[in-house]
Amino acid sequence: MTTAAWICLLLPLASALAITLAGTSISRRTAAYISTLTTMGAFTAAAVAFIGMWGRSPGSRGSVTTSWTWLSAGPYHFGLSLLVDQLSIVMMLIVAGVGSLIVAYSIGYMDGEDEERRYFAYMSLFVFSMLLLVESGNLLLLLAGWGMVGLSSYLLIGFHHDRPSAIAAAKKAFVMNAFGDATMALALFLLIQHTGHLDYASVFAASPTGGAVANLIALGLLGGALAKSAQLPLHTWLPDAMEGPTPVSALIHAATMVTAGVYLIVRCHPLFENAYVIQDLAAGLGAATLLMAGLIALVQTDIKRVIAYSTMSQIGYMFVGAGLGAYPSAMFHLMTHAFFKALLFLAAGIAIHAIAGEQDIRKLAGAGKLMPFTKIVFLVGSLALVGIPPFAGFFSKDPVISAALGHGGWYGDLIYVACVIGAFLTGIYAFRLYFIVFTGEPTAFAREHFHAHHGQEGPLSMRWTVAVLAVLSTVAGFLQFAPFWTPFSTWLDPVAAAIVEPTNTQEYVTMAVSVAVGLAGIFVAWTIYAAKRVRAPRPVRLFERKFYWDELYDVVWYRSSDLLARGLYAFVERPLIAGSMSAVTGVVGLGSRELSHAQTGLVRSYALALAGGLAILAVVFLAVR
Amino acid sequence: MASWLTTILILLPLGGALLVAVAPLTSYWLGSLAALISLIEVGFWITSASKFDFNSPALQFAQNRQWFSDLGVSYHIGQYAFSLWFVGMTVVVMAACTIYGWWAGRERGRAYFALMLFLTGAIVGVFTAQDLLLFYAFFEAMLIPLYILIGVWGGSNRMRATITFVVYTVVGSLLMLAAIVVLGLQQGTFDLTKMGTSSSTWLFLGFVVAFAIKSPLFPLHGWLPITYRESPPEVSAVLSGVVGKAGLYGLLRIVIPTFPTVAHDWRYVLLVLASISLVYGSLLAFRAPDFRGVVLYSSLAQAGLIVLGLFAFNDLGFDGAVLQIVNHALVSAALFLLAGMVERRTSTGEFARLGGMARGRPALATLVMTTGIIALAVPLSTSFAGEFLILAGVFRQGWAWAVIGAAGIVLAAMYMLRAISGVLHQEPGPAVTDAALDLRLGELAVVVPLVLCLLGLSAWPNLVSGHAFGGNRALTQVITPTGGYLTTTLGQSGQWTRYAP
Repeated sequence: MTTAAWICLLLPLASALAITLAGTSISRRTAAYISTLTTMGAFTAAAVAFIGMWGRSPGSRGSVTTSWTWLSAGPYHFGLSLLVDQLSIVMMLIVAGVGSLIVAYSIGYMDGEDEERRYFAYMSLFVFSMLLLVESGNLLLLLAGWGMVGLSSYLLIGFHHDRPSAIAAAKKAFVMNAFGDATMALALFLLIQHTGHLDYASVFAASPTGGAVANLIALGLLGGALAKSAQLPLHTWLPDAMEGPTPVSALIHAATMVTAGVYLIVRCHPLFENAYVIQDLAAGLGAATLLMAGLIALVQTDIKRVIAYSTMSQIGYMFVGAGLGAYPSAMFHLMTHAFFKALLFLAAGIAIHAIAGEQDIRKLAGAGKLMPFTKIVFLVGSLALVGIPPFAGFFSKDPVISAALGHGGWYGDLIYVACVIGAFLTGIYAFRLYFIVFTGEPTAFAREHFHAHHGQEGPLSMRWTVAVLAVLSTVAGFLQFAPFWTPFSTWLDPVAAAIVEPTNTQEYVTMAVSVAVGLAGIFVAWTIYAAKRVRAPRPVRLFERKFYWDELYDVVWYRSSDLLARGLYAFVERPLIAGSMSAVTGVVGLGSRELSHAQTGLVRSYALALAGGLAILAVVFLAVR
Repeated sequence: MASWLTTILILLPLGGALLVAVAPLTSYWLGSLAALISLIEVGFWITSASKFDFNSPALQFAQNRQWFSDLGVSYHIGQYAFSLWFVGMTVVVMAACTIYGWWAGRERGRAYFALMLFLTGAIVGVFTAQDLLLFYAFFEAMLIPLYILIGVWGGSNRMRATITFVVYTVVGSLLMLAAIVVLGLQQGTFDLTKMGTSSSTWLFLGFVVAFAIKSPLFPLHGWLPITYRESPPEVSAVLSGVVGKAGLYGLLRIVIPTFPTVAHDWRYVLLVLASISLVYGSLLAFRAPDFRGVVLYSSLAQAGLIVLGLFAFNDLGFDGAVLQIVNHALVSAALFLLAGMVERRTSTGEFARLGGMARGRPALATLVMTTGIIALAVPLSTSFAGEFLILAGVFRQGWAWAVIGAAGIVLAAMYMLRAISGVLHQEPGPAVTDAALDLRLGELAVVVPLVLCLLGLSAWPNLVSGHAFGGNRALTQVITPTGGYLTTTLGQSGQWTRYAP
């Protein structure tokens, strides 16, 4: 089982290295196949590990292996160790499974692209990093994986490196995540100080329960989670990250990396339970994010950005679940979301790929008529997103919402209301997108630029992968039906048992309410965008400007450091540091002219100078003594 | 044989310098000879590393001969575990830079290669001398070839750069000489291993100022910008990668063990200066208009970070500082060499005129990107490991220091990504023409080994951090045979002894 975990981790790394080193000596297509096959190999290895784990008793399914001491200082030893347990295996299967599908999809999507090999090397690097993140056996290695996924995300967002907007977006994503890394590192320093360890078991056993320290530790970890998962207030990088190629958006910015924050909270839930204030804060920020992102998604005109805001919103639901302590529900929603969101992105990718790389929904309008297959799979994805039975989102979103009822109190009720409003917004923006792009008559632009691939909507590699995801988005929900069928929660129980249990009544009420508001949202979207019975309202400026977060950070962080740096240069570095040197050289030049008069050739003046120097030295020595 | 290893490491390049100075060969063959000698030097270092007993905290490969018995001066050399890493990074960086000079075909080859070899021997001497006067002699011997290398082979503004460098270093050296003489007379010996501790604030400050100039630390870094910009790139690489580390070595080997109580009392001053260096250097690197400017101000920031680790006074800080010193030597050497390679192709380092070099130049792009992301300490890289240990260590002196350090992490991402993009990304700048080719084999042969060292260390940073102070004992027990003094005197404050959770 542990061997399989190592193979699963190292295969993608080997692929990244091989493609980088081989350079132009392999064809573009070979690089694509190497990357796809190794990711599939990683998935197979994860599946083997899963089967091995299945055969064991629930108590003995987790295991830790350490290959060598990665870092040590004095009494502290941090090993390069992997932890394979019920939680990490779920993540491994999702990452490697969805990863294989998306890398395979890229074969068609990136075909003919410049520097295609570099793309596949980066994709393999990302899969390795993400697997390192979920398999890491201690918090230091988790942070390492955390940074590495940020790096691969940076590289892939900036893949089109001659496009200034792509480079700016890549840098923004990296810096914002570096901020999250920094707060996480601070939490780790606190843990080292208070527990002396960083491996999960020892940390959980020895970490302080309650008090300022516990709160700070959880807050530091939460900072990392918010940045990585694009939750308020560290969310502004995600929409810009859509500058990357569409499969990248599907894999990194929808299915896997951005959900790492949820994984972190679930993995470190003992630390968060010790700091319930922070855990509540996580739920509250998740609720705020899901509302805000839902509102912004209503007015966006870029097909990928709408889906990106929808991702932010859905991760908000996961944060609500993880923050309230409904860990299995959060993880279950993470899984189904990986399927249907990857599906939505990839289906959008087919449309973008076929219609001249266009992403503006007003230009893509009516594409459904040209692309019936894409229309159907996009509809499946949208229904799953809104949570209409029997699609996957219905089974996974409702337990998260009902957890708010289970939590109770005014705070729980408030979050519950936010979640229900969010479900309504989801119905509107998801079907606004669907009705605009996939129903009605195609625009002239779409007709003119539509470019069929051998009579099909896209290459085979793009169609079969999307079909698989559509099937998964339909059936994956049946893995768990909260009131009476809970194998997923049972599987996770030994590592992350839920601390909030909504009653069956609450579950049923939530289901009814959320399906009703989802349908209401769809109806609103239909009235406005399909039937056009109501004129579309003018977009709210606040939503269009994305609540002015970008402007805020520009002033608070970027401009202020820019100004500070310029100020320091103008008022400290140039006049004082460099200027002092001019003064010194001036004095030296003057001094040397004066001193040249001292070279009189008279021995008595030299002797006098020597005696004087010795006298000064003697005084100095005596004084120092 | 083994006890001669340190002496060989010092004398081989010095003898090589002599040989190069007199051998009747053309400039090209002199360069080959120098390159060969620098590689043999690396071979001897690998031999010494393989023979080194990392479990022992004692001085190894030591030799001790009386020099001036009246003054108690001796030729006493040897290596502790951490000295071994200092020497290792020196010989590797010097070999890369010598070979680059050979590849670039520096004029007046005889003088150039003789000076580079002489410099190698002198720096190894600095890191292995166990006698203060011997240390001083090597320290000065290290600076003389640098004056000439900058003054003769530097850029258009080289005279001003040389004068600046000379004035700063002479001031530092004189202060240090005065401090050494007084300390030696007080103690009755110049031998560091026999010396007791001193509690003189003035002597402490003399050493600290000298080493702070060399490291450098804010506000004594005035020589840094012009010197690093005007030197030939490989000399900038040596200055930033290795010579600056002599200052940090001095703090680690001389200041902290010899003045433990004073250092402890003055730690906040040093921590404040280090923090300012870190933030100030990072901010200026963020605004620097050219590639070298970013690298040189990031050197200031890194020196600050390493001093934070040293003055954290615990195992995490010390081990992290040694690891980070090795990392930064490799990173900054690679970056300065890459900057030189870019300048060679475009005759400018300014971002306004650069850009777009990634397209069609995969080797250059890969190396600049890899080195850059290691320089900004992306997690899982060895520089991340070093920074993590340092900040975890200084966290114990007070959380605020670690918060400043963490801000440094974010700033490092900002300035390094700006530099990477400024060279590689977006539309090609006016100075980037199709005539600017990808890296050539000779250049790859210089930079790739440095990057491979960094990647190897990223897989196992513990090679340095876990093997820096013999059997993981606390620094002070290693360095002074009378280590008990420190442990008992300062043990109560909990700063010097190892932390046991």
